[in-house]
Amino acid sequence: MALLSDTLKAQAPGNRVAAKPSGWQAWRYRIKVALREPTTLIGVVTALLFTYLIVVPIISIIFDAVRVQFGHERRLGKEVGDFTFYYLDRTFFSPVATDLFWHPLLNTLTVAFGAIALSLAIGTILAWLISRTDMFGRRWFATALIVPYMLPAWTFALAWTTLFKNRTIGGQPGWFEAMGMTPPDWVAYGRFPITIILALHYTPFVILLFGSALRRFDSQLEDSARILGARRHQVALQVILPLMRPALLSSMVLIFAKCLGEFGVPYVLGLPVKFEVLSTSLFRSIASRQTGVAGVVAASIMVIGIITLMIDARLVREARRFVTIGSKGSMNRQSRLGNMRLPATGFAAAIFLLSVGLPLLTLALSTVMKIPAQFTLDNFTLDYWIGTNLDTVALQTGILLSPDLWAAAGNTLMIVGLASLTSGILGLFVGYVVIRTPVRVLSVYLRQVTFLPYLVPGIAFAAAYLSLFAVPRGPMPALYGTVTILVLALIADQMPYASRAGISAMTQLGKDPEEAAQIAGAGWLRRMISIVIPIQKGSLVTGVLLPFISGIKGLSLFVILAVPSTDVLTTYSLRLVDYHYTQAANAVVLIIAGIAYFGTLTAQKLTRTNLAEGLGS
Amino acid sequence: MPTINLRGAQKNYGVNSANAVSDLDLEIRDGEFMCLLGPSGCGKTTTLRMIAGLENLSGGEIRVGDRLIDSVAEGVFVPPEKREMGLVFQSYALWPHLTIERNTDFGLRLRKLPKAEREERVERVMQALDIAKYRDRYPSQLSGGQQQRVALARMLAVNPGVLLLDEPLSNLDARLRLEMRAELKRLHKEFKTTIVFVTHDQWEAMTLATTIAVMNEGTLQQMGTPNDIYDRPANRFVAEFVGSPPINILTFGRPGISDIADKAEGYFSSRYPALSRIGSIGIRPEAMGYVLKMEDVPQGDFFGEMTVTGVLPTGGSWILELRSENHTLFLTTHALPRLDGGERVFFHAPPEALHVFDGHGERISEADTLLKVSAFN
Repeated sequence: MALLSDTLKAQAPGNRVAAKPSGWQAWRYRIKVALREPTTLIGVVTALLFTYLIVVPIISIIFDAVRVQFGHERRLGKEVGDFTFYYLDRTFFSPVATDLFWHPLLNTLTVAFGAIALSLAIGTILAWLISRTDMFGRRWFATALIVPYMLPAWTFALAWTTLFKNRTIGGQPGWFEAMGMTPPDWVAYGRFPITIILALHYTPFVILLFGSALRRFDSQLEDSARILGARRHQVALQVILPLMRPALLSSMVLIFAKCLGEFGVPYVLGLPVKFEVLSTSLFRSIASRQTGVAGVVAASIMVIGIITLMIDARLVREARRFVTIGSKGSMNRQSRLGNMRLPATGFAAAIFLLSVGLPLLTLALSTVMKIPAQFTLDNFTLDYWIGTNLDTVALQTGILLSPDLWAAAGNTLMIVGLASLTSGILGLFVGYVVIRTPVRVLSVYLRQVTFLPYLVPGIAFAAAYLSLFAVPRGPMPALYGTVTILVLALIADQMPYASRAGISAMTQLGKDPEEAAQIAGAGWLRRMISIVIPIQKGSLVTGVLLPFISGIKGLSLFVILAVPSTDVLTTYSLRLVDYHYTQAANAVVLIIAGIAYFGTLTAQKLTRTNLAEGLGS
Repeated sequence: MPTINLRGAQKNYGVNSANAVSDLDLEIRDGEFMCLLGPSGCGKTTTLRMIAGLENLSGGEIRVGDRLIDSVAEGVFVPPEKREMGLVFQSYALWPHLTIERNTDFGLRLRKLPKAEREERVERVMQALDIAKYRDRYPSQLSGGQQQRVALARMLAVNPGVLLLDEPLSNLDARLRLEMRAELKRLHKEFKTTIVFVTHDQWEAMTLATTIAVMNEGTLQQMGTPNDIYDRPANRFVAEFVGSPPINILTFGRPGISDIADKAEGYFSSRYPALSRIGSIGIRPEAMGYVLKMEDVPQGDFFGEMTVTGVLPTGGSWILELRSENHTLFLTTHALPRLDGGERVFFHAPPEALHVFDGHGERISEADTLLKVSAFN
């Protein structure tokens, strides 16, 4: 009987082990556990690598800003490398400071805020129409209106010049000029077109972020307000809008950060009228070898970028408070537009035409027309694509027959391909180490260091690379003008996306499959080969493909670091713009746009993901 | 496999966090089917993972027989892949990119067994678990119960000395769960493996285990046979955790708070000399009976008069909710109660059904004997 048996109250038999191991013993044990597998070793190696590729360049450019640069020794009466406030003073307080920093800053701010206001105004309406109404062709518009973001922004800048260029600068006239209507300078160049183009380019941001917030919105919240007697506009103002605020603010901040680093559009449209933003000012400082000033400007851009994205991180955290996890409540309830249905569809269609149809059509037409805006049959030609023996100084064949294009294309594939492949694989490593290492410090450091380039606009990052690798340092030879510097910079620039993809893939995979293999007797290498890599194949493909696409259309890194022998498609087309080979330049841009667009579609198909998911992060 | 011994095993996840497991001594003998039972967050899964080597210790040691496999003080850590144990995960953790057959075969390949032997062993466990017909499918094409079998088969194929199971049945529906319990019991007999099974489900523990270790807040509360745990809970936590509906508790030493508790104190004052030691007593609902007239109360039973406030059928048995002015008790009966609610009834319980705990909630064992004797007076 149970009553008679003695309860087996846990009693330790034999000698007791000291419950509390000494500090030294605990450390020895932990180190043993940590070093048992290569995870920690890989972590340390990658951490060192990224310190060198990401942190050191940034520190280097900050040092440039406060140290005497080559060529200024005499004027400053100091040795090269001595500490100086000269560049800070020159950039912020000297008579040329207005041109170097304050005007560009003002221009950057006005353009950014203009673009934000415009894209919010258009984007919120479109997002609402797409996600919550019965507008015609909603599903089609949902994809079509995102297209501007898949194309390089300065595609639109080139289309704009093709249409509105006036006689202020040479080369082929714009269509309007050719038709006898000279557009004024403010329409053709500078603040106005830059603002419009950036707004159209970043409207997809608003559509995606705001739209997904709208879709996630629990309509039971809306219904409760209605049942309590609120009218539609009251519901909109008092329930929906306050809950949407984080999404709106977040898209504003992101657009601002993007505008800050935008180079191509202000370069094409601003330069003719000396309209400078921070990125072009930085470019000019580098081009004129003002390394110290460039350091100050680049560091300023970084600081603004970091502040902006810290605000965003805060907003995202705040937004989490508002997350309304909808189950059945989040079903997609549609408002009936009634007789506004047709005009609403017209509005969406008009935006699509303005932001995609018109620019692409203009560019396409411009590449097959000899004289702008003359729509007669004899004016059309395919010479600029496939012609031979053309009557020009250089580029005497059509662009497709030009060896330069293929060299640039080859370079692009090689540089971007190599960088994407490397960063994709490194990203998976980082993800693995971050999730698996028992050394917490390492995990946190790797996560943050690989995220750092995200805070730094590409052009400032390129400047940092130039500052570090332009001259030989230690065992590292001077890398300027080599493919290596481009690949390294691109890898570092893509690491935020790659490591995030890796981390989220490893998080999703969880520990279990690997631990199961461990229990079954598989050592580290065996687990990597048989379990982790096969399962992560898909996300590895994404981790390589998405950076590849953004790398192909990327400009700001290349424009600083590439030289003619390492031309990629983007810098090649920019060079053609500089030489006023309009048709050829537009053709190259169309090729880039085509690759970017179809690449994105393929990536989405392959991974069955939506672009929207990668954006908010 | 020889006895597995945990001594002073300790785990904390951060410098400032509370111990997930503190100072745990546990002995698992060869061929035992041990259940680690406790509420979520009590450290039972951590304990299991420490045995498997997936969690390293913060203190203490683990031995298998005479062999030290994990010790902070000695700086010894045998990695999981060298411990020759099997672990079935709560999520099953099947490898999604391998077929069922390859999943089952994985461990054998690693051990570089000859092909013929591998095939023979895979075939045997797949037959035993009735999954041979799915051999070419992928895990995502199987139902939860089938995946569960594959996860078991994968571990049984390598014939580990000890099989660790981490709530393996919690994702199954009620019927499948019952089937798998029977299956596990059969496998335990057939393969003669030591099994350590983690669960928060007391019935699962009761029906499967040869030994149950009840844990709470990282410490071992009681270890014993299922009957021990149920009949002689070592403390109030165990008493309240095991049993459904939960045990009725009457707290002593607070006169006027509960009329029934006061009555119990009166009942004990004549039977138990050290009344002041008693902190509370517990009565299991199923150990109680009820009668309508006071003269029908069996001689020597503890009893009280209460009002029926609820009759809850649970299919084959009924739970009665009884209330007095300021106390509520639950009572289980297997005979159809002809009550509508509102009636006055007398509950009663024999003295040997009363569990006596001291002020710290620990069982007062000597009270059992005394009460037993008093039952015959």
